[in-house]
Amino acid sequence: MDIIFKIIAIGLITCVATLIVRPVRADFAIIISIVGGLIIIFLIINYLTGIFDIINQILGISGINSGLYTVLLKIIGIGYLIEFTASICADTGNSSLGDKVLLGGKIIIMVMALPIITTILDIIMELLP
Amino acid sequence: MDVDIIFKIAAIGILTAIIGQVLKQTGKDEISTLATLAGLIIVLIMVLNLIADLFTSLKTIFNF
Repeated sequence: MDIIFKIIAIGLITCVATLIVRPVRADFAIIISIVGGLIIIFLIINYLTGIFDIINQILGISGINSGLYTVLLKIIGIGYLIEFTASICADTGNSSLGDKVLLGGKIIIMVMALPIITTILDIIMELLP
Repeated sequence: MDVDIIFKIAAIGILTAIIGQVLKQTGKDEISTLATLAGLIIVLIMVLNLIADLFTSLKTIFNF
């Protein structure tokens, strides 16, 4: 349970470090904030694996074919990566670039989600008389 | 892996800035720009290693 204190500590330390370095070297401040975010993510990454294993078991029991689950996992991963880069772009000041990255991510997620939509339509077609 | 890398990068940043100023005072301007560039490249390499680790671990988790 002490992981939450570690995360808070790293967040505060990164903020203070960026404040210290900003007047001396502006570009290092952005790099330090990126590294702080990365460290926090590394701390929580093994919790993620636990969550996804449990979801996998639940889905296994419920009988939904695992193809949907892997696509869903990929979409979550892409969504997270895109948000990570877009927020860094916004941090460095070029938010228009962040929006373009978001747009690209949405389109890729849409492309990956199409097979799910087609399977749902097939299921509905079977239900109809 | 934890907090020390943040302090390392902050230290490198401050050091390169000081070295750049000192070199500039003694009149060697080109060397000072080179020194600041070298500091920047060292930090970028460290950050690249971290990002590479992030991508590999994300790949294994979200089984891309």
